[in-house]
Amino acid sequence: MTPKHQRLHDTLGSVLGGRIASLSESRDYLTLVAKAGDYRSACQSLRDDPALRFDQLSDLCGVDYSTYGDRPQEGRRFAAVLHLLSLTHNWRLRLRVFCADDDFPILDSVIEIWPSVNWYEREAFDLFGIVFDGHPDLRRILTDYGFIGHPFRKDFPISGHLEMRYDPEQKRVIYQPVTIEPREIVPRIVREEQYGETGKP
Amino acid sequence: MAEIRNYTLNFGPQHPAAHGVLRLVLEMDGEVVQRADPHIGLLHRATEKLAETKTYLQSLPYMDRLDYISLMCNEHSYVLAVERLLGIEVPVRAQYIRVMFDEITRIMNHLFGLGAHGLDLGAMTVFLYCFREREDLLDAYEAVSGARMHAAYYRPGGVYRDLPEKMPLYIAQKSRNARAMGEMNANREGSLLDFLEDFTNRFPGYVDDYETLLTDNRIWKQRTVGIGVISPERAIAKGFSGPMLRGSGVEWDLRKKQPYEVYDRLDFEIPVGVNGDSYDRYLVRVEEMRQSNRIIRQCIDWLRRNPGPVICADHKIAPPSRVDMKSNMEDLIHHFKLFTEGMHVPEGEAYAVIEGPKGEFGVYFISDGANKPYRMKLRSPAYVHLSAMDELSRGHMLADAVTVISTLDIVFGDIDR
Amino acid sequence: MAIEGLLQQGFVTTSLDSVINWTRTGSMWPVTFGLACCAIEMMQTGASRYDLDRFGIVFRPSPRQSDVMVVAGTLTNKMAPALRKVYDQMAEPRWVVSMGTCANGGGYYHYSYSVVRGCDRIIPVDIYVPGCPPSAEALLYGLIQLQNKIKRTSTIAR
Repeated sequence: MTPKHQRLHDTLGSVLGGRIASLSESRDYLTLVAKAGDYRSACQSLRDDPALRFDQLSDLCGVDYSTYGDRPQEGRRFAAVLHLLSLTHNWRLRLRVFCADDDFPILDSVIEIWPSVNWYEREAFDLFGIVFDGHPDLRRILTDYGFIGHPFRKDFPISGHLEMRYDPEQKRVIYQPVTIEPREIVPRIVREEQYGETGKP
Repeated sequence: MAEIRNYTLNFGPQHPAAHGVLRLVLEMDGEVVQRADPHIGLLHRATEKLAETKTYLQSLPYMDRLDYISLMCNEHSYVLAVERLLGIEVPVRAQYIRVMFDEITRIMNHLFGLGAHGLDLGAMTVFLYCFREREDLLDAYEAVSGARMHAAYYRPGGVYRDLPEKMPLYIAQKSRNARAMGEMNANREGSLLDFLEDFTNRFPGYVDDYETLLTDNRIWKQRTVGIGVISPERAIAKGFSGPMLRGSGVEWDLRKKQPYEVYDRLDFEIPVGVNGDSYDRYLVRVEEMRQSNRIIRQCIDWLRRNPGPVICADHKIAPPSRVDMKSNMEDLIHHFKLFTEGMHVPEGEAYAVIEGPKGEFGVYFISDGANKPYRMKLRSPAYVHLSAMDELSRGHMLADAVTVISTLDIVFGDIDR
Repeated sequence: MAIEGLLQQGFVTTSLDSVINWTRTGSMWPVTFGLACCAIEMMQTGASRYDLDRFGIVFRPSPRQSDVMVVAGTLTNKMAPALRKVYDQMAEPRWVVSMGTCANGGGYYHYSYSVVRGCDRIIPVDIYVPGCPPSAEALLYGLIQLQNKIKRTSTIAR
């Protein structure tokens, strides 16, 4: 770990303390996993504490961990991953927080802390169904106006359920069930550890 | 007394100044905008979900189609993220080629932005001049990859192949005699680097032309000074990056602050604005074009003097050359596995950002060890910039709302992904 | 000459037809309907090097003032009603050029849930220009093919 990352690591430990579920470093990037209950207070400290001063939120994305590694998942399903940037100290942090409930994922909104998260939270709601409590205007942003479902969840098929065409009798565009068959040219393979190693039993 | 209500105007998806498919619902009090609500998603193609169904190499061309004006910069961010996940080093020559093409892309983007900005505000001459320069740069893209726009040139491990020794030439035809052909082919006689060097020699003169047309033009100033003003603190809080942030006076450029590739070895400056209005952002972009020209010149000099490999030698990631593939069994197997199953990326996550022409463009991968990404998230700069549209255009008139849209320099492939 | 023989193919009617077709092909005005990356190539075709103005093609912002629509880019489910509305607002005679693989048949995004697999599901198309994106020359070739197609139609002579 570089000295700068070590300093960030220690500062995070001292400022956030028990609100951290885990803090790790891989590939030159620190990842902090916060507990869902302490999410908003942790974010407040991350922005306001002068030793940390993460003044800009670059990204918030929703993740659905249900088919991770093609193993049945014992942990939680939905998470939000935030990427934070500090312009004053010139460092970055990744913050991950899991939603407590798989059937009704809900998290606190951090829009009061970082206004840039406005549309990111709308997008996570639209594509994953994660509700952000405290967001002033949580409506769908990327998908179609009457779209039903949360498309980026792992159980939603890539080609969706409905497609569109023009109906000359009704003189307007209508929805109809999908007519194409999805095809998988390259299957998804997770290689086992000893793949291709010669001389091993 | 009659009741006066706000008028809701639909600045529809089909609009010549909407920069693509933007449905902007404006609540107007007469000519003044009270509230602006952008409806996006009219170009939502689910790139991120499609990338989960394709291998890392098969979803590389999706990156070109996101911000389709700064094409290779998006690819750059993607390959940096994949290389970070793999933990490999890229040869130096490939890094210089990537930086050179990034700066070419930056010039292309700013030329387009300037041309479109002028077109939206009514200055049509600038549009034609800027697109004439873009044609030369599109020829450079075509020479190196075969396609004018969507090149798919950067690969995880380097770039696909080395720069060409010859440029395509104009052929003689009935309407042009040999002397005219000689003039047109004058800068294409050598290699791609000669062509680009000739371009960098001519380009400052062209930028002077654009500045003569616009910078001291009182109509341009009346239409851009004081429009879309944002303070530095608010810009940082709203997540701005790139020229939007630098126009407000914040000295933040990833090429200097968090250098990647070979930017720390190159000599260039970062223009920063003062007032945070559209005029300052215009000046920042014009000066960035000049600085990019400087960087390209330095890259050309280095590339001329230093031949070498342009893709990493590990054949589990980068395909072997076709000659080797046809003669050598191991290389054949590597080629087969790479192009059918794809490369396997170790478990983990990586976020790579670059300083794109519009701002900070980032790609976030979560990999679980498979040949396809588990989750890919694209952090596009135009998404946050457009979300601030409401704040920037409140209190301005309808024509100024057009100025604000074009100063944000947005592209819908990037926003809707 | 009997009345029913008036519109038969003869010297006068075919000459009139060729004059009408000459006026139509000499001044095809497209409505600006750029959706995605193909729109950039369309703009490049209209700009300095591959000038469309010399063919009489000037882009009009309003569908009511135009005769051809170049669908340039990916058509999504959210945009499809708007496309149909713009097409319905164009006056006859009108033609449609589908530019790029996304507009031809869904293209690179064929398997996506939010993409219409070809704009011919929504509007009738006359010319399909392949490419991703079709280079400016290819679009120019496609427009010339549309001119040829118009020249083959006969309005007066049946």
